[in-house]
Amino acid sequence: MEYTFTVNGIQRRTGENKPLLRYLRDDLHLYSAKDGCSEGACGTCTVLVNGRAVKACVLTTALAAGKNIITVEGLSLREKEAFVYAFGSRGAVQCGFCIPGMVMAGKALIDRNPDPTEEEVKTAIRGNVCRCTGYKKIIEGIMAAAAVLRGDEQITDLEEGKDYRVGSKAFRVDVRRKVLGYGKYPDDIGPEYFVGEGSARAEAIEKELRKKSGRDIRLHVWNNVPNPDDIGCNAHMVVPADMPPMAYASAVRSEYPRARVLKIDTSRAQALPGVIGVLTKKDVPVKKVGHIQQDWDVMIGEGEITHFVGDALCLITAESPYILQQARKMVKVEYEVLEPVRGIEEARAENAPKVHESGNICQSRHVVRGNAREALKNSAYTATGTFRTPFTEHAFLEPEAAVSLPYKNGVKVLSSDQGAFDSRREILHMFGWDKEPDRVVVENQLVGGGFGGKEDVSVQHLSALAAYKYGRPVKMVLTRQESINFHPKRHAMLGTFTLGCDRDGHFTGLDCEINFDTGAYASLCGPVLERACTHSVGPYNYQNTDIRGYGYYTNNPPAGAFRGFGVCQSEFALESLINELAEKTGLSPWEIRYRNAVRPGQVLPNGQIADVSTAVRECLEAVKPYFDANEGHAGVSCAMKNAGVGVGLPDAGRARLKIENGTVVIYSAASDIGQGCLTVFCQDVAEATGLTLSRILNGIANTENSPDSGTTSGSRQTLLTGEAVRGAAFLLRDAMLAEEIAERHNAESEDKISFVDVLKKSDAYLHPRRAGNRTAEYGVGVQNAPEYDSYGFVSPALQIREDGLIWDSGTGLNQGRYGLRGTQTEIFGAPVKDPEKIIEKLEGSEFYYEYFEPTDKLGASRPNPKSHIAYAYAANVAVLDGEGRVTDIYAAYDAGKVVNPLSIQGQIEGGVLMSMGYALTEDFPLKDCVPQAKFGTLGLLRAPQIPSIHAMYVEKQELLGVSYGAKGVGEITTIPAAPAIAGAYYAFDGKMRYVLPLEDTWYSKKK
Amino acid sequence: MKAVVCCTGESRIRPDRAELANVLKKDQNSAASACEKLLAAFPEGIRACAYGCLGGGSCEQVCRCHAIHISENGTARVDEEKCAGCGRCVKACPQHLIRLFPSEDSIRVLCSGRDPGKTARTVCGASCIGCGICEKNCPAGAIHVVDNCAQIDTSRCISCGMCAVKCPRGVIHDRDGIFTAE
Repeated sequence: MEYTFTVNGIQRRTGENKPLLRYLRDDLHLYSAKDGCSEGACGTCTVLVNGRAVKACVLTTALAAGKNIITVEGLSLREKEAFVYAFGSRGAVQCGFCIPGMVMAGKALIDRNPDPTEEEVKTAIRGNVCRCTGYKKIIEGIMAAAAVLRGDEQITDLEEGKDYRVGSKAFRVDVRRKVLGYGKYPDDIGPEYFVGEGSARAEAIEKELRKKSGRDIRLHVWNNVPNPDDIGCNAHMVVPADMPPMAYASAVRSEYPRARVLKIDTSRAQALPGVIGVLTKKDVPVKKVGHIQQDWDVMIGEGEITHFVGDALCLITAESPYILQQARKMVKVEYEVLEPVRGIEEARAENAPKVHESGNICQSRHVVRGNAREALKNSAYTATGTFRTPFTEHAFLEPEAAVSLPYKNGVKVLSSDQGAFDSRREILHMFGWDKEPDRVVVENQLVGGGFGGKEDVSVQHLSALAAYKYGRPVKMVLTRQESINFHPKRHAMLGTFTLGCDRDGHFTGLDCEINFDTGAYASLCGPVLERACTHSVGPYNYQNTDIRGYGYYTNNPPAGAFRGFGVCQSEFALESLINELAEKTGLSPWEIRYRNAVRPGQVLPNGQIADVSTAVRECLEAVKPYFDANEGHAGVSCAMKNAGVGVGLPDAGRARLKIENGTVVIYSAASDIGQGCLTVFCQDVAEATGLTLSRILNGIANTENSPDSGTTSGSRQTLLTGEAVRGAAFLLRDAMLAEEIAERHNAESEDKISFVDVLKKSDAYLHPRRAGNRTAEYGVGVQNAPEYDSYGFVSPALQIREDGLIWDSGTGLNQGRYGLRGTQTEIFGAPVKDPEKIIEKLEGSEFYYEYFEPTDKLGASRPNPKSHIAYAYAANVAVLDGEGRVTDIYAAYDAGKVVNPLSIQGQIEGGVLMSMGYALTEDFPLKDCVPQAKFGTLGLLRAPQIPSIHAMYVEKQELLGVSYGAKGVGEITTIPAAPAIAGAYYAFDGKMRYVLPLEDTWYSKKK
Repeated sequence: MKAVVCCTGESRIRPDRAELANVLKKDQNSAASACEKLLAAFPEGIRACAYGCLGGGSCEQVCRCHAIHISENGTARVDEEKCAGCGRCVKACPQHLIRLFPSEDSIRVLCSGRDPGKTARTVCGASCIGCGICEKNCPAGAIHVVDNCAQIDTSRCISCGMCAVKCPRGVIHDRDGIFTAE
């Protein structure tokens, strides 16, 4: 049987009946159609079939026969440009994984209806899930694309980034490759990238397989090397000519959350033609990995007990995904099923089975300040409640994927994670190469969303193990259900909180016990629990706290980092109690918060002094009119969230700028998981140098060519790496000014000098007004602490190489003490006059900067320890209609200086919708520790369900002296909406709700 | 909203045409609609499947848009272009075969039979047998077998077509003719 259909205008024929998505991706290498679930739930594979938006994973090649199929690649040039401009100018693109599907759903609508309304767009994309944007900007993007295609709106030169300074509405750097779908997520690296001599070997295997099976089995399409123009951001990927063909790996995982594995029989799978090998625990050099605590079994061996249903028992590597699937079914495992530990209560019960030998308490924290017991005893009013919140699935649109290949004397891992250096560390540890860090290179591709769920290794280490073992490139992709079952969730909480206040509503003290279910492994339990504890007090001014936190091992899927990092749980509880106290004191919920909101100079409940930028009161003021206007059916909530890892850890931002081909290339291993930090870095460079985006690029960052800039976690990239980029860009700017001075000098004088000469004599040239007897020390290889000159300049180490200049700020020394650093104009009286011309003179130079600001450990003995570099603050107001539906959320955020207004709105809208899902619809039911939800039944909000989200940002005059004053908004966006919604229901029906998702609401009734 | 007749009329009609015509001729002055009369005369329905369309055209009579007609196989069919989604036909059908679907929903279960699988299979070639494959494959939890027949919860359906593709009986249809023949 042959099926014929048209794809992007070309007639195609296939004898195989399989999902159309597999045909488009595997046979035609059309990678714009993404594989987000292969269950029909997510919409990332949406294509046009006879003009209708259809999910390519549902339709089969047989059903497609005779039909006309269009993917993003097949759009007309006019349509492509319209969507790129529309989505970029409206800020619709974040991680980008849903975007090609959104484009096709949008096109199907626009073809039928050239001038759609907002409601019509929402309906058209109701089958397409976006986890980043909150849909609002995508809806605006589709409407803008329609306007462009109608001729009502003209495409401007916004994408060129002529004004890309800090504070401008920057068109993100990754819009084009994400909208047109040529940007590469790891799953988009197909076998066609590895066409070398090995292909002959693969063909021989193919022949053998055909002979044995009597079927037409094809492993790869060999002669379809994609057009280099389409490869986009991965054009750099040079594969040695003798690289063998790509293989595919998948793990067989435990059927039971807790069972003794008696026997793993892989013999039948091993014998299947096309199976390269099956690895078990004995093939793993070091058996346990872990982001912080090394407790995570890479595989479970015979005789051992499993910890959850995601535990790998063996890893199969095969020539094709098809053979892999067959082989998986052939592995026979015998178990002795044991009673699992289902939750916190069971974990702490006497005689509870031990999930790990160390016992069931994974982590604990005790945070004390003042005397909470005494304070509560003497309080006029107290409120107590026991709160329960569920596990939450990140539901990033891109399931975990990695491609590993043999590289030098180790492996290179093309990955999708939140920190290349974190993944490298864990992979090195598994190989036992802790002391040989260069043997593993990790390079991040595009990341289709993370939200904390991609901080731990999932497929990276296993694909690396297979690649190293077999000397082959190995791709490993989790299926959606595997992803849901495997990766760490937001911790489920069971917590009892007591908050007190005096007669005037001033908070007196907080006592609470927070219990987290951290599931099978620690993941990031320690820091998440700690943040839950330290933030459970809220952004208020009171000094008596007694907070006990416990993280319990159970046989549930692990819990770890999730946007909000423990604070979503504890602030839901705290803010709910504040509503109760408001009632007791007779104050409005807004007033009681305003009375207590911390002001600059006051002491936060953790002892840290609130810095000048603190603007929680301003946030409350911003939402007050909306709260007042909707009294009786509105709720209000505040939040605070740290930026930067803090708590005494060596958390640094690092960046290296290189001048290549007249362009500033930014090298920094900092994962852009969709939040847009790569764009922020370009803006930081543009601001410092006056260059336009045409002269600024993000380099392909890997652990080999870029400095470690930490994990994308703790809302830290805009602040920490942003500051490192800014520092390096200031060094570059100084060199540019030096070059300008040299040119001026050379025009008038006989003795010719270069910018390096100017830099060596620094002050004399750079600060002519202050020239005199001071000259900063620049020297080769300066290792000691740098001097700060009166302008707050660091004296970096200057090296002159044949291919240019290397200017290195040194390591770990810049402790944020250069508050005097200002804009070019402030320091020099004038900016670089012709930056485009000057930059070419600096070809080959490098500028390196590291930003590290020490913080104090939890429980440090100083009276006012500094736990974090910065805190962001927020206030949200949620409004219900007469039926109890959320109609509006007014969301005000203090994130310091807004670097990109477009991006911050998108972050806020997406975070607020995530928080609304947490409040009302999202759940993660487990039955005897086995996840019951599919992607489509997690309760993710879809476009037609969204309320009006009014994103507001409060920008104060007083800002922090780093990163142009930006504080990072990534996580705080997800915190306050859930308690604000709970508060709205409390006002609406007087019922206090202690459980998430909230019970007895319009949303729960619908179920 | 659009009215959809959830019966394809594949099930054989038992009485002959003359017999049916006779029933309709009786009691010209009665307030009962054509379908009600048929149902009174044939309490087990007129088809091998007791739940099938009676073909009396009561729906056609109440439709103000001329959007619903009795087709050649004696089954009501809706012209969705003309249908205004008023729901009059829904009320007029004594067999409760007509349902309103949101205009944008293209996937429908075209069966309303409540016979258990084995019977359903024998009485009609296009019947839901309640096997639940749709329910198992639905990514949105939007389709459930109720009284032996699959039913779509339109508030949850995203029209992905998965149920239509997986249905072994071809009883779940795609209006747009992509996942199934129209």
